[in-house]
Amino acid sequence: MSTDDLTEDLTRNTANAPPELLTRSFFFLCAVLSIFTTLAIIALLVTEAAKFFSVTAPLMGIEGETASVVEFLTGTEWIIGEGKFGVLALVTSTVMVTLGSAIIALPLGVATAIYLSEYADPQVRSLLKPALEILAGVPTVVYGFFALIYITPALRTVFPSIGTFNLLSASIVVGIMIIPMVASISEDAMSAVPDDLRQAGYGMGATKFEVSTGIVVPAALSGILSSFILALSRAIGETMAVTVAAGAQAKFHNPFNPAAYLDGGSPMTATMVNLLTGDITGGGLAYRSLFAIGLTLFVITFAMNVISELVAQRYREEY
Amino acid sequence: MSNDNVESPTEDPTDDDMLLETDVTSGLEEGTQGSRTTHERTIVEAKDVNVWYNQDQALRDITMQVPENKVTAMIGPSGCGKSTFLRCINRMNDMIDAARVEGELYLGEKNVYDDDVDPVALRRRVGMVFQKPNPFPKSIYDNVAYGLNIQDIGGDHDAIVEESLKRAALWDEVKDQLDESGLDLSGGQQQRLCIARAIAPDPEVILMDEPASALDPVATSKIEDLIDELAEDYTVIIVTHNMQQAARISDKTAVFLTGGELVEFGDTKKIFENPDNERVEDYITGKFG
Amino acid sequence: MATEDRRSYADGFGQVSRTVGIIFRYLLLAATLFGIAVLAILLVYVANDAIQPLTADAGWHLTFFLTLVLPSLATGGYLAWSNVDGLKLGAMTLGLFVVGLLFSGGVAIIFLEVLPPLVWFAYVIAFAVPVAVTVGLQQRSRQIPFVSRFALATLAFYLSLFGFPGIVGSYAELPQLIPSVATLILFAPIVPLDWIQLTLTVGVFAATPVALYASAISDRRTGLIAGAAALATVAASAVVGPAVVGVGPIPSVVLASVAVLPTAAYVCGTAVTREQARIGLVLPVVIVAGALAGEVLVDTLGYAGPQSWVDWQFLTSDHSGTAANAGLYPAIAGSILLMLTVAALSFPIGVGAALYLEEYAPDNRYTRFIDVNISNLAGVPSVVYGLLGLGLFVTRLGQSTGTILVGGATLALLILPIVIISSREAIRSVPSEMRQASYGMGATRWQTMKNVVLPRAFPGILTGTILALGRAIGETAPLIMIGAPNVLYSFPSELSSKVSAMPLQVYSWASYFATNDFYEKAVPAGVVVLVTVLLAMNSIAIVLRNRYQRET
Repeated sequence: MSTDDLTEDLTRNTANAPPELLTRSFFFLCAVLSIFTTLAIIALLVTEAAKFFSVTAPLMGIEGETASVVEFLTGTEWIIGEGKFGVLALVTSTVMVTLGSAIIALPLGVATAIYLSEYADPQVRSLLKPALEILAGVPTVVYGFFALIYITPALRTVFPSIGTFNLLSASIVVGIMIIPMVASISEDAMSAVPDDLRQAGYGMGATKFEVSTGIVVPAALSGILSSFILALSRAIGETMAVTVAAGAQAKFHNPFNPAAYLDGGSPMTATMVNLLTGDITGGGLAYRSLFAIGLTLFVITFAMNVISELVAQRYREEY
Repeated sequence: MSNDNVESPTEDPTDDDMLLETDVTSGLEEGTQGSRTTHERTIVEAKDVNVWYNQDQALRDITMQVPENKVTAMIGPSGCGKSTFLRCINRMNDMIDAARVEGELYLGEKNVYDDDVDPVALRRRVGMVFQKPNPFPKSIYDNVAYGLNIQDIGGDHDAIVEESLKRAALWDEVKDQLDESGLDLSGGQQQRLCIARAIAPDPEVILMDEPASALDPVATSKIEDLIDELAEDYTVIIVTHNMQQAARISDKTAVFLTGGELVEFGDTKKIFENPDNERVEDYITGKFG
Repeated sequence: MATEDRRSYADGFGQVSRTVGIIFRYLLLAATLFGIAVLAILLVYVANDAIQPLTADAGWHLTFFLTLVLPSLATGGYLAWSNVDGLKLGAMTLGLFVVGLLFSGGVAIIFLEVLPPLVWFAYVIAFAVPVAVTVGLQQRSRQIPFVSRFALATLAFYLSLFGFPGIVGSYAELPQLIPSVATLILFAPIVPLDWIQLTLTVGVFAATPVALYASAISDRRTGLIAGAAALATVAASAVVGPAVVGVGPIPSVVLASVAVLPTAAYVCGTAVTREQARIGLVLPVVIVAGALAGEVLVDTLGYAGPQSWVDWQFLTSDHSGTAANAGLYPAIAGSILLMLTVAALSFPIGVGAALYLEEYAPDNRYTRFIDVNISNLAGVPSVVYGLLGLGLFVTRLGQSTGTILVGGATLALLILPIVIISSREAIRSVPSEMRQASYGMGATRWQTMKNVVLPRAFPGILTGTILALGRAIGETAPLIMIGAPNVLYSFPSELSSKVSAMPLQVYSWASYFATNDFYEKAVPAGVVVLVTVLLAMNSIAIVLRNRYQRET
């Protein structure tokens, strides 16, 4: 081949050939779609919620009924018929379910992670991991039904005063639901701990127990922490299980009062579902309150996800 | 060490205007035992090539001329930049975000780092064989025909596949199992399959990055025989850390030493018997490296 | 001093107490099993409520114990002891058939209720024609430049599906000059019988992989014979099915294509390639034979079976105000249609985004931003996605509430981050040597993706997508938010019709019809069906992943 041909060959442009351009732009659009989704969520929640509040509603061209921001954020009563929109009545129930499920899921999840990462032999692991995945794969509405039909009656034998709808059974099922999340992220963090550290421990004459609790867990701490935050965020956003199990009665509870768990409540997510099943369509204060709750929920979970990401980054940097 | 040593001691400093037909044999009549041709055409020429990975300089002012239809070996201790240089020739370094290349590197008479050169088009003219055999998880036939298909090369694919497998000395072993996966072959066979894959689109130059380092001695010697035969039609540039291998198969040898310098470049026989550079002698005789 | 120490070592090194460690270990195991055990107990309860095994005669239990349970356990136990590979093969065969049955049920529902076989047949042909044209053009790729090929292929698709001037023309109110291939078939004076249409489409789709599989493990000729035999089986089933089993020709053809053929191909294939494990095929034979024998015996002896709420009537009737008559049929169909829509939307977009982020995107601030954004989207509560669907698709874009399209699009947005994240993992696990080899040959990015990366990452991508689809099917909240009806009597038949779904139906039974009657009958039955479908999907994904991980 003459060198002229060679030069011509080398300068032939393939990167901008039509199939390349087409596929590249399609893939790019797909990736950018995620940004649009986020923007759409934020824009929608913010504009609709703005129509709800009396401060911002005139700016959005809304006349008629509106609600006060201060009352929304500090009010403790949520009675739509009386125009009382106090989100704290919902938030406290959400906090209770989150706390209750955390008490179940965090210790069990970390214990599971330690067992899978340090103790289980490969065969046991290959059985347990899919089983845990199934725990997360059962639809949440099914969990809610379990709480309502089986768990609450069982709890009634211990606490006779428990209501048909109660936060305790909701907390239990949400807790079970988020165990796999805590377990799998924590296990990843523990597996990422370099073997050198374990070897060093064993070399010093430590037992497996001492290595697991004294070396692996502290080393994986930021990963475990990040799993906690993610799981809590998941519990906050959990919808169907709490809707079915906890009921629709919005009530302000003291989240740190254990007796309140026997009572029903309406967490934020459940309130949203119940609002919509009550036949409301476009416009109307009740409809717009949906977006105000949605915005609150989104801000809380988004902040938690970001924090968890920041914490997780630390452990990635460490190893 | 200063840049003065970088130039190949066996040839005149290159002029500014490109000399395609460079008579590189003139200065070494007494040192060589007769190469295949007396007049050698240069196919690949590097002029002051520098490579950085972020802040670390991997190659320093590499200047060399690779003759056509010869086997040119690049040896040196690990980390000396010989593989980096090989990957400059077909611009595989472009794949690494951190890598930065300066200088001129000519294939034929075109600087492959010119803005109008498409690295993909370049790689279609330069074949490459990697350290670890890496056939695709496809049939043997599809592996060899891969280059033909992606480059839209017409003609009788069956014939080209057969010819390439024959040249790679693999045809007799696989002619009855062309439909089977390339991954089912032994390591040595896989590497010869990769060589067949590289020569099927008929490239100008074949780059080999330690092609035998993952193979057993028998498979290695087969590959070495093969390289010898390939040199009749192709220019082969091979990176190896095995000095005996370089001595056995190459016509020209370039010695890279730590820090990314090309310390000496010349006829293999001269490099191994009577190197000009003291450090090269130390390296060859095993004092370090 | 030193000698004393040495003497004390001579007695041994002493013992470090392990009691704490052992207790800790068992505590950990108990914690791991806690959630699994609770779920298992709850599932047993709900299954008991739904199937009511205790209402059956003792004789019924005894008969099936003797014909089915005992022989199966004995065979299984023997295989586990003597030939684990065989046991695996037997279990896989059985699992494949069961999953095939589930799928064929879904496909049959679509052909019976939603999509008349003729319409399906017409569009498959109208699709096949331009595909053939495109492939033909591809062969001539060296003579025709890409742009013209692309234009010709697009034109072929348009003409074949819409005719000329087609939908573009109808906006301009031009008369239709040339009918499309689809219309030609739809209004043809003579069309083949519906089971022949299905055999030619579904049957061919099923027989092609069988032929390819056979030619992969043997040779081309065997492949052709196997393909022909497979097609013949499908055609025969249309005759045999109604005559022998009493199933209509359409379900028979679907059953043969989706359940029987794959299982038969798997059995034949493994029997040829894995002689050691062949013995394992005894297991499914024993189980099937045992079940049949038990059925016959129970019939002749007159033992009554359990009064299960999950029965044919439950699966095939519409909702009803009385729990005993309520059925899940419209919800099952709705779930299937939703799943198809979600898969069609989320799979290409998710894989595309994953490819861009893994293979194309430069490592810069914007890419990292997209990256963080996707993991954040994965954490947004599903109810917020429901709001997005309501606000965006219904209020802003003016779609009507609760349609398949809106529901599918909302659920697709919901699982998109999961699909992207799992696809990225699958793409990342493709060894970089493969890419190097391809780029080293002068392949462009897209050629490398198409020929090397995607085929290799496909099983992983599929696993992630199936798991994500499972999540989508189980979601209720977004459907409620977009206004899907709580009770659906009529059947969803097109993208713009209202849709219900299995979890939504279960929810409305548990909330609007909250009587003990519903709690005891319809809801447990619905839960059992829903959980069965999801467990099946999860197991497919897990089996797929295990095989794939073993290979790489």
